[in-house]
Amino acid sequence: MTSISTSTTPRLSGLSLRYLVLLGLIVIASVGFGLANENFYSLTNFGILLRSIAVLFLVSMGMTFVMLTGGIDLSVGSNVAFSGGVGVITLTTTGSAPLGFAAAVLAGMAIGAINGVFIGRLRLSAFMVSLATYALARGLALVIYDANSINVSNAAFLWLGGVSWGSMPVVIPFVVVVFVGLSVLLYNTPFGRNVYAAGANFNTSFVLGRRPERTLVWIYVLSGALAGLSAIVTVGRVSSGQPWSGLYLEFDAITAVILGGTSLFGGRGRLLGTILGVLLYGIIINGLVLTGTNPYLQSLIKGMILLGVVLLDTWTQRGKTS
Amino acid sequence: MKFTSTTALGLVLGAAMGTTAFASDGKLDIVFINDGHVAPYHVAWLSGFEDAIAAYDTAFPDTKITGRWLSAEGSLEKMIQQAEVTINEKPDVMFVNAINVDAFEPLVAKAKAAGIVWIAVHSPMESADYSFTLGDVENGKNQGLAMCALSGGKPFNVAIMLGQAGNPSGDARHQGILEGIKTCDNVKVVAEQPADWDTVKAQTLAENWMTQFPDLNAISGVTDGYMYPSIAIAANSGRTDLQFYGYDGDIPIIQQMEGGQVKADILLSGTREGWNFVQMAYRIHMGQEVEKVYDFFTPLVMSDENYALALKNGFPADIEVYNVAKALDVAAKGDIEFGPDSVK
Repeated sequence: MTSISTSTTPRLSGLSLRYLVLLGLIVIASVGFGLANENFYSLTNFGILLRSIAVLFLVSMGMTFVMLTGGIDLSVGSNVAFSGGVGVITLTTTGSAPLGFAAAVLAGMAIGAINGVFIGRLRLSAFMVSLATYALARGLALVIYDANSINVSNAAFLWLGGVSWGSMPVVIPFVVVVFVGLSVLLYNTPFGRNVYAAGANFNTSFVLGRRPERTLVWIYVLSGALAGLSAIVTVGRVSSGQPWSGLYLEFDAITAVILGGTSLFGGRGRLLGTILGVLLYGIIINGLVLTGTNPYLQSLIKGMILLGVVLLDTWTQRGKTS
Repeated sequence: MKFTSTTALGLVLGAAMGTTAFASDGKLDIVFINDGHVAPYHVAWLSGFEDAIAAYDTAFPDTKITGRWLSAEGSLEKMIQQAEVTINEKPDVMFVNAINVDAFEPLVAKAKAAGIVWIAVHSPMESADYSFTLGDVENGKNQGLAMCALSGGKPFNVAIMLGQAGNPSGDARHQGILEGIKTCDNVKVVAEQPADWDTVKAQTLAENWMTQFPDLNAISGVTDGYMYPSIAIAANSGRTDLQFYGYDGDIPIIQQMEGGQVKADILLSGTREGWNFVQMAYRIHMGQEVEKVYDFFTPLVMSDENYALALKNGFPADIEVYNVAKALDVAAKGDIEFGPDSVK
């Protein structure tokens, strides 16, 4: 009798390997910056670091949903400015912080809905549509603000973005709650499965009756809603509504999502990776400022890290395929 | 910072003169947070700042003078993060060229609590310890007056390239230019459009305007960054009659004044401004009197020939004007006006 033995050597999936690499990079960066400047480990600096990436956490989570469907949302930065303006103007007009919050989120969702309808229903290019709404939302922000900032003193409206418990900004527990909620939505609901299906193969998903066109509309509405929440945090952080807030935020978000392992082509990625990507990105930015690195070099370093991660992504994907 | 009898004396004298004194534990750490670092003006500014730090550190061995600059690359959020991190580092002086001053009010309070002198750059802030301003309205007006004087009294069409919408400095320059132009009847503004401090957008505007307005006589800009593409396009399209009125004092633009199409410029010069920052910080450090709202000296620049013509056509004689040679000299060498010798 011949006995057949089976070996079950555990193998790391591409994404798990990515998370380990990201964690390793976070540790290396933290140790390096900590050695270069002891202030890096101070509680105050952690507070600054977390506060500075809170908005990036929020918009990047929305961008993850978008990129999981193979799309892109270039309008999120401009949407932060626009929805913030709508929120602040509602606040100053009515004096009601809850109405201001609601207006900001609804305004963000409205821009998201425009993206969603054109991309999901009319099947236009996500890049082109969101490029158009990028300009549209910034233009609307400049018009409603009349290109000037608006000071905000309402304590309730400023609370989320401006208050800290000790060194811990209150926005961070809020980000955690949003993360948990979105994780449940993505991994434990039919909607989440539709997101992956739409990104893996839109046509197959359509034939299977998963209605990917409707999923896409809601994905962009979700991204817009998160931009609206980010606007509230931004206003709280600077005690004012700013027509130029959120400038280039979309590029930081895309960078963080790619760092986190979400495929540009859709269908692959997880929110945890995005969180790690934002964290790594934030630590690098914080550390480079703290260590007084020449800004010309900073751009170079950021570019090299992104290039390295993209190369790693390609390498792990090839390994998986072979 | 150690509290010594010198410190106490400095504080008392400083308070009496309306100044902030923070002398002295033998160090002066200056941080400059700027909104960008790639425009020609920015490059000269940051390099002037670095050169001045090195020169002052050498000239005053009793004080260890250090400095660094950061660029927010146009992003308000990045600038706020940089300011927060910098405050946590507790330098002695922070120069902040805020993208929007309202957004920085909470941070000024934090900086003050940390004993840091906050100097608002270009856009004044009431809450800041000092504001370093450019007199943008007056400078713009001088540019407009020069245009009036050099327009020759005939109908004269000008197009104006503006800054980013809502930028206080750009708006003030624009306001000044219009005030200057208003003093003569023959100059007509046929177009004005923001180019967002962007040379590529300026190039597009210049191309459009030269096509749209064949009778255009001049292009005015709130920054010399707009002049480079405009001059190049005019040269390529054979518009040798077109005049240019700039703002910044960039050396390559001043160099085009003698017999060229650039008629007037405002001498800021990034190099001069960088040097002036360090001089100002050192003066504050030493407890010398510095105005709370400090006006950077920014004369108009014209060639001798154009200045003579302008005077003949009614240009006010009391406005300070540098000729090309003098402007080039001080624009290139910030130490002439603001070097260590200026505070000894």
